[in-house]
Amino acid sequence: MSINQILPFLSTAIMLGFTVWVLQRYAVRRQPHFLFWGIGLAMFGAGSFAEAYLALSWSKWVFFVWYLFGAALNAAWIGHGTLALLVRKPWVKVVTGVLVVGSLYAGYLMLQVMPKLDTAVFTTDKPISEQYGTKALSAGETAPAGAQTITTTYRGEEVTAVRGLLPLGSPVRLTTPFFNIYGLLTLVGGAIYSAFLFWRKRVMPNRVIGNVLIAAGALAIGSASTLTRLGYGEFLYLGELLSAILMFAGFRFAARPQPDEVPQGVQAAATD
Amino acid sequence: MDPESRKNTKLHMPNDSYFFEKIIPGLLVALGIVTLALILFALGVLFGLVHF
Repeated sequence: MSINQILPFLSTAIMLGFTVWVLQRYAVRRQPHFLFWGIGLAMFGAGSFAEAYLALSWSKWVFFVWYLFGAALNAAWIGHGTLALLVRKPWVKVVTGVLVVGSLYAGYLMLQVMPKLDTAVFTTDKPISEQYGTKALSAGETAPAGAQTITTTYRGEEVTAVRGLLPLGSPVRLTTPFFNIYGLLTLVGGAIYSAFLFWRKRVMPNRVIGNVLIAAGALAIGSASTLTRLGYGEFLYLGELLSAILMFAGFRFAARPQPDEVPQGVQAAATD
Repeated sequence: MDPESRKNTKLHMPNDSYFFEKIIPGLLVALGIVTLALILFALGVLFGLVHF
């Protein structure tokens, strides 16, 4: 096994521990943001595992999990947890409803595209994130070396495209930027905003550092995914692992009990 | 350190800390710029300006 095949399994293990930790907090406190974070982190973990699996072998349902949970939905659900924590207004429940319906719709679109997957292009030599999309070539653009191309009709025009697993113009791919922009705004924006508020008030240094780590972790995977789509896929698995470590560390750091929050029994035990 | 001082260092940022005075604000600005760049990239993909 190469290092690139081991890293996603490490990320999965970290995300599993992270998810259990967050869901345990939800079970104790019953605050909805823990549930949304738990769902999003479980999706992240499932996506990491699917990616690790697809680096070794093909399965169309593992690909389903990878695309739907790993590429499309997880950031939006984690970010929605941050929104639910920061904003206690009735409209957040409406956004929750939109997110649930949108996620179900994306799942439906993904199911629709499953019989049309171009599985002949799959290879374990490249990360799945470098081979899932069919990309139409612009006039004068040449296909990368070794890429398989196809000439097809797209939006009434004959185009040459680099073959990928998902057919050209798959509707499910149009939903992904919406979820990812929402996730980026709420998760990273929320973490930066929280860190700034605590920093400005000069209080709770652990939450300042924790939120900076969360934002950096979310941006690590966002940047690695973007680099992959620009042709630099070698950073993806490292970015994913870095993201899992930074976000877990950030959540643990931010959730450290403050002196005022420590239950009296614990305080008494600590001073004994 | 007496218990009250220890409580204050956990609740408040240390005074004259280079880390909290310089590094944290710098990190927040840098993270904000990267976020903005990624959002613009995602919007470019959404509106078909960036192809991949």
